[in-house]
Amino acid sequence: MRQVIYALMPGALIGIYFFGFPAIKVIAVCMVSCIGFEALWQKVSKRKLSINDWSAALTGLLLAMNLPSGAPWWLAVIGSAVAIIFGKQVYGGLGNNPFNPALVARVFLLISFPVAMTTWPQPRSFFAEPTDAVTGATPLGALKTAVFEHHSVTAAPHLNFMDPFLGNIGGSLGEISALALILGGIYLIIRKIITWHIPVSYLGSVALFTGILWGVNPDVHANPSFHMVTGGLMLGAFFMATDMVTSPITNTGKLVFGIGCGIVTVVIRVWGGYPEGVSFAILIMNALVPLINRGTRPVKFGAVQ
Amino acid sequence: MITAALVIGGIGAICALILGISLVTFAVKMDPREKEVMDRLPGANCGACGYAGCAAFAHELTSNADAPMACPAVNAAALQSIIEVLGRELGGVSQVIACVRCKGGIEEASTRYTYVGPRDCRTAQLIAGGSKGCQYGCLGLGSCVTVCPFDAISMGEDGLPHVNADKCTGCGKCVDACPRMIITLVPKSGNYHVGCISKDAAKDMKKSCGVGCIKCGICADVCPFEAITVSKDKAAEINQDKCRRCGLCVSVCPTGVIDSRRKPDKVRIVPDKCKGCGICEQVCPAEAVTGKLKEPFVVNEGKCIGCGLCIDKCPADAIERKPS
Amino acid sequence: MRSSFKGGVHPPEEKGLVKDSPVVDFPLSSRYYVLLQQHLGAPSRAIVKSGENVKKGQTLSEPMGFVSAPVHAPTSGTVKEITRMVHPVTGLLGPCIIIDADGKDEWLEGLPAVRDPFTMTHDDLMEAVRSAGVVGMGGATFPTHVKLSPPKGKTIDTFIVNGVECEPYLSSDHRLMLEEPDRVLNGARVAMKILGLEKAYLAIEANKPDAIRVMEQKAPPEIQVVSLKVKYPQGAEKQLIKALTDREVPSGGLPMDVGAVVQNAGTCAAIWDACAAGIPLIERITSITGRGIVQPKNVRVRVGTLLKEVIDFCGGVKDAAKLIFGGPMMGIAQFTSEIPIMKGTSGVLVLTEKDTNISEYSACISCGRCVEACPMGLIPSTLSKLGEKGQWQKAAENNLMDCIECGCCTYVCPARRPIVHFIKHLKALSRSAGAKSKGA
Repeated sequence: MRQVIYALMPGALIGIYFFGFPAIKVIAVCMVSCIGFEALWQKVSKRKLSINDWSAALTGLLLAMNLPSGAPWWLAVIGSAVAIIFGKQVYGGLGNNPFNPALVARVFLLISFPVAMTTWPQPRSFFAEPTDAVTGATPLGALKTAVFEHHSVTAAPHLNFMDPFLGNIGGSLGEISALALILGGIYLIIRKIITWHIPVSYLGSVALFTGILWGVNPDVHANPSFHMVTGGLMLGAFFMATDMVTSPITNTGKLVFGIGCGIVTVVIRVWGGYPEGVSFAILIMNALVPLINRGTRPVKFGAVQ
Repeated sequence: MITAALVIGGIGAICALILGISLVTFAVKMDPREKEVMDRLPGANCGACGYAGCAAFAHELTSNADAPMACPAVNAAALQSIIEVLGRELGGVSQVIACVRCKGGIEEASTRYTYVGPRDCRTAQLIAGGSKGCQYGCLGLGSCVTVCPFDAISMGEDGLPHVNADKCTGCGKCVDACPRMIITLVPKSGNYHVGCISKDAAKDMKKSCGVGCIKCGICADVCPFEAITVSKDKAAEINQDKCRRCGLCVSVCPTGVIDSRRKPDKVRIVPDKCKGCGICEQVCPAEAVTGKLKEPFVVNEGKCIGCGLCIDKCPADAIERKPS
Repeated sequence: MRSSFKGGVHPPEEKGLVKDSPVVDFPLSSRYYVLLQQHLGAPSRAIVKSGENVKKGQTLSEPMGFVSAPVHAPTSGTVKEITRMVHPVTGLLGPCIIIDADGKDEWLEGLPAVRDPFTMTHDDLMEAVRSAGVVGMGGATFPTHVKLSPPKGKTIDTFIVNGVECEPYLSSDHRLMLEEPDRVLNGARVAMKILGLEKAYLAIEANKPDAIRVMEQKAPPEIQVVSLKVKYPQGAEKQLIKALTDREVPSGGLPMDVGAVVQNAGTCAAIWDACAAGIPLIERITSITGRGIVQPKNVRVRVGTLLKEVIDFCGGVKDAAKLIFGGPMMGIAQFTSEIPIMKGTSGVLVLTEKDTNISEYSACISCGRCVEACPMGLIPSTLSKLGEKGQWQKAAENNLMDCIECGCCTYVCPARRPIVHFIKHLKALSRSAGAKSKGA
């Protein structure tokens, strides 16, 4: 758990750099209240206190990275309560939850408080003069509007590669820099905390699917490199979909899971009502994990051929 | 507006109709008594009756006119009302409760090693037969506590499970769960038992436990009713049918391993009825009865052990228990 | 090098402590503790009485049943008493014959009876193996004569000498193959004669190049020396057969079902002693190792020697935290060193505080590492969760009985869950339920 928190640091720091003090506030509120709710629940239900396993802290950090940096404190607290209590503890605590707790909270907030959850402060340097926060659309949101209103991708601003790659775009505070997240993800793979199966199959299937669409009609579909670096894809592929509790146990299952996530993500991004589909895609695939596990059971040694 | 109301109302009506039809067509015929019996059963689904749960047993009771009352957990009042519901006799249920036959707690018994695995006696038993110095003693990890569906067993600070006699229904789940077979079911009406089942000889046993049965046999010698058997490789065992619950054995046991839950009431002789035959004096194992022939005899309360042998033998029915 | 099996782990080998130290003889002890149950199967019954004089190699007990084996006097002396002492495998008291040595170490008359086993009949050879009390010396202690007598209808076409020794730390088979290759190879040839086979494999893990070299020089053409990939549990029977022949022993079956018989290298040496000299299995090589031992050694020791004496012979212990009979993966933890060396004791391991990690386990987070590590293709995480709840019926549906308890899953588990312990618990529950239903 601690290793995952370390791996999230580059992404979080980029968020803090571009969004400033509010980002620190959101991260702190989420982590503290997640740990608090976990302790509270375990006290009330007379279970063993397990906040020192870092899982609540990780959930808090992940939730924070999935929120806009301008999110008010109460939103973060509600989100933390939903993540810990309804995302995790009601199922029996760590190891028993079917859905990624941070994503449950994010989707809950997104549906309940759509305005607060889609007010995206625009990035600026941490060292820039403090001014009133400017808000604007995320690249994916701008793309959706452009395609919807003008039937053309070229009407969307920010359609380059480097800004979202480095993080100079609007979005949730932890998802803006693809580079930082990839670095964290590679760290996790090297430390053998996660395996390569889910990130590779997830990103690969998104690239392939959007590549086909772009090849068919580049006017209304953005190119794959844009899809790869925008939205919550990197955060989702390296940190959310790979959550061990809610992903399949076999490597084959993980590949299936990743491909499923990729396809659902692109379907929502291209044809869905929301500009971004990573959270929904992962939650939908979480629900299918028992099925995937059943379908990808290892063949036991000496099974009758 | 009206259209919408009509549409919604219409959908509601159609759904209600479908529900109504299916309620009638798919209704499951059920003996109404079944539910009543079910409500009176304890509802713990412990399985001690041999059926899949209380509902299954209730079904058996109502559908099979010969089915006996197999639920050990049902209390007297509930049993009576079930008999009323069914309108037939069910036969008595022998009321039993669980009894832990080990007194070697944390202080009394030694351990051989530190066990760090899962907190479950059955699992711990797999590591070199358990960490307890005595291979017959209670491991104290509380498998019996976990399986008890009635919350009747608790783990005491002495490292031994304690049975709450009021809550225990004698379902026997703990008996199955205990890997050491320490727990047995005994009659609920106050009983005596030896709190040790060790087969070790005294010298082996003393190394590992301070309160175990040392097979000295004193209890068997003093028992006026020959209810206790003990041998070199088997802890003393009390035959519950022969035992008169006098408690002599408890007072003589050098290690204090014999336990009782209730002492019997002492007896007294009603002077008006006593014919002075002296049989009671002859049968009394405690020499508690004194008197002269042809005159009323007297019981020395300090000596009376409450075995009640004299009550059985008195030809004049002159002896009775003195309520305490 | 051959293809291998799926799964498995690479624990630190730790063989350096004893792999290069030559076998030393343990001096004659004054008292021996011969347990009557030193094998898998039915117990054996003592046929000597206390006070009786016995000679080295004299039979002390008779087997009760076919799958059983006798034990023999490790030296000459008097039977002090027949009593009970802690059995290293069960941890409970087991019947034991205590022999006070007279120091003369005299053989039973007629032993060793040197003869040429290749001129003996099949039945004579089998009788020699059986009466010598030879059992599998890799640790499982299955009576060898049973393995060498396949039931009618089973055709055996492959004989495998198991010199893999994949358990970390242990080097007893390694040293045996290096120092006494002829005993191993000749024993293998006798076993081949008993089985009526012309060809055999001698499997050695690639981390013992010196043993492979010696064996390749010495091995007759009918025995093919094979170097195997270093991976645990390469020496497990089923995995070994798979690696050598690409045949999978069917679930619930025995190696015989795919025409294979596997014997440990040490067992082969014991077969040779039994057939060529009539010497029963009364001594073996065992590795006394681990960082908790002052001077780790490979010791040739009589069966029945008190472990405490052997450890003292190796300089005693330092910072000892855990004592294990066998290797770290499958060995059995002990709570005392007042236990005797047995026929199946391939090594004794004393770990220090640093080597052991005694900590609480936590909830399973379904990371799937155990699934990747399991050489049997099971899902240990599911079994461990069922084990916590004691749900053996459900575990049986999840292939509980296929588990070989190799310990790979427990080794890789990041939550430090005692998975094999849970599985053993489930197996015990399932067995006792089976026994109950049979009794009813």
